Amino acid sequence: MIKIEGISKKFRLYHSPADRLREILFHTSYHKDFTALENISFEVRNGETLGIIGQNGAGKSTLLKILSGIVIPDAGTIHIDGKVTGLLELGTGFNTEMTGLENIYMNGTLIGMTHDEIDRKKEAIIDFSELGDFINEPIKTYSSGMVMRLAFSIAIHADPTCFLVDEALSVGDAYFQQKCMRKIQEFRAAGGSIVFVSHDMNAVKTLCDMAIMIDHGKMIDYGEPKDVVDFYQNMVLKKMHQGDVPAEISKVEKSSNVKNSSISTGEVELVLFKIFNDKDEEILYMDSEHPIKIIFEVKAHKDLDDPHYGLMIRNNLGLSVFETNTYCMNLKPEKIAEGKIARIEWVMNFPLYPGTYSFSVGIANRGFDIGSFEEYLLLSHDVDIIKVLLNSQSIRYSGIFNMKPAVHCFIK
Amino acid sequence: MNFSLIIELTKRDFIERYSGSALGFVWSFIYPLINILIYMIVFGTLMGARLPGTDTVWGYGVYLIAGLIPWTAFANTVTRSSTVFLDKKHIISKIRVDLATLPIFIVLSETITFCVTFMIFLGILSLTGYLFTPLLLLIPLVYIVQQVFAYALGFFLGMLVVFFRDLKEVVSILFQVWFWFTPIVYVYQILPQLAQDMLIWNPMLSVVSAYHDIFVYQKIPSFFFLTHVLVAGIVLIILDCLIYKKLEKDIRDFI
Repeated sequence: MIKIEGISKKFRLYHSPADRLREILFHTSYHKDFTALENISFEVRNGETLGIIGQNGAGKSTLLKILSGIVIPDAGTIHIDGKVTGLLELGTGFNTEMTGLENIYMNGTLIGMTHDEIDRKKEAIIDFSELGDFINEPIKTYSSGMVMRLAFSIAIHADPTCFLVDEALSVGDAYFQQKCMRKIQEFRAAGGSIVFVSHDMNAVKTLCDMAIMIDHGKMIDYGEPKDVVDFYQNMVLKKMHQGDVPAEISKVEKSSNVKNSSISTGEVELVLFKIFNDKDEEILYMDSEHPIKIIFEVKAHKDLDDPHYGLMIRNNLGLSVFETNTYCMNLKPEKIAEGKIARIEWVMNFPLYPGTYSFSVGIANRGFDIGSFEEYLLLSHDVDIIKVLLNSQSIRYSGIFNMKPAVHCFIK
Repeated sequence: MNFSLIIELTKRDFIERYSGSALGFVWSFIYPLINILIYMIVFGTLMGARLPGTDTVWGYGVYLIAGLIPWTAFANTVTRSSTVFLDKKHIISKIRVDLATLPIFIVLSETITFCVTFMIFLGILSLTGYLFTPLLLLIPLVYIVQQVFAYALGFFLGMLVVFFRDLKEVVSILFQVWFWFTPIVYVYQILPQLAQDMLIWNPMLSVVSAYHDIFVYQKIPSFFFLTHVLVAGIVLIILDCLIYKKLEKDIRDFI
């Protein structure tokens, strides 16, 4: 169990470290304060995982360092049962000249194992790392993935009661990541507490029982991961939205027929698909960087209790430039009864590089996990196309879309 | 206190020093062996330096080495401790370690070097027909006094060096000067009276003199001054603890 109450940490920024001693000796102030954390409190019970989210510089790392005891807070109490191990200290003390086995002893001792304990566990550590005979080679001969495997393997075998997991886990190949994840789940099932810091919102939502959000050192939100993540994403969106170019109209022309391919169970039918500009005029081509509205209508031939709708935009090479669905967007569309028609409207900005783009539509029922569904009802490719023209008011660029950079040039 | 960690760090200290070399740990025997041989041969047989009050050709060589080995252990312990927090930054900034234990592994590591060197020295002495006395059993006692003081001073300087990085250069210069203000290559009695009076304040004088008494003059060293050094060491350790309590947070922030 981890319980912290009212943790605050200020870093004093000094011109030079010597100023700190001068301060103590002469009782005058030589520093600027930087508040890294202010009044943070939370609790992680045994077997629970707490997610910490926040933008870069919010104070997440400082919080982890306080939990692992490297940084001492100015105020507040920390109560931790048992041993804390952090994945942020993966591979600490590794010496590349020495063999994997020798490094197990050093790193293992550093993270709090005794010599006997390591003697007992080294077989398990080597097994889990899948290094085999490489364990007797110097670490400098290892690939970076092998080093990570060894480091993680030592950390997980140190029998911590609390685990501090940082972004570090994203290192290594997909297979080993899965293996690590399983091991962490086992650890949690056995009653270990985990503090998980990540920028991967999906991971936070799927792994964590609770989440906190930190911004500028303050705890802004504490609650269900889904709510906290939503709040976080809203905040990020709000910050991003400032400076968006207001939209304008363009030439309008109605289309002819479009070939398409589709897979369907026949339980739903796409009865209408139309593209509009922001003046509600149907369009076939448009200037880039203008908003468009896509409307499609779906007729259900059976009851759908949890329908979800997806849209994919592909370029002329068939490469998806953007795709999403209502489930992934955390929307909960209404149920449709048999024979009813649902109308789905998508409004979005369209800052794509000039060219021809096609729209594909997907319809499914009952979502779970990250964008998976129990029933895939219809996937209809290239139901319509739009031709994007160069926006004369825009910058010249090439690539996929206009990222609208802000550039400042200075003469130093 | 984490003993496993101290032992592992000490082991590491030796392995790292000679890692990749074919002879490995054997090198830590070769260096002192060559050094001692050179001193004995150059000063004893080639220069024929005679030490007042002794009658063998080896007298001066023994005098020099008996002072030099402990001095090296002392100086290395203090200078290495003074930068230990910076040297082990990669560990301190990632894992919770008690900072007070870090200088201990240096004391331990230097003690091993000291023992190895002394064994070699005793081996060479036996070849010269040196008369061993039970006085040699006092060496560990003198050594403990010396290293308590070394730990206290090293820990103190180590904490200061975090704030004043320049101090580590000052420390190495200081030890150059200190070396010559300690009667290791010369004999205390040849100094003018004024210098003799000043040197009383040098704690290493009584330590080195104790080794000289044991090895060269073969008499029981003066425990009066050694006790002073021990007390000074203990007082300094208490002071270190107070400073550490006050500054630990800052030290960790600055590292």
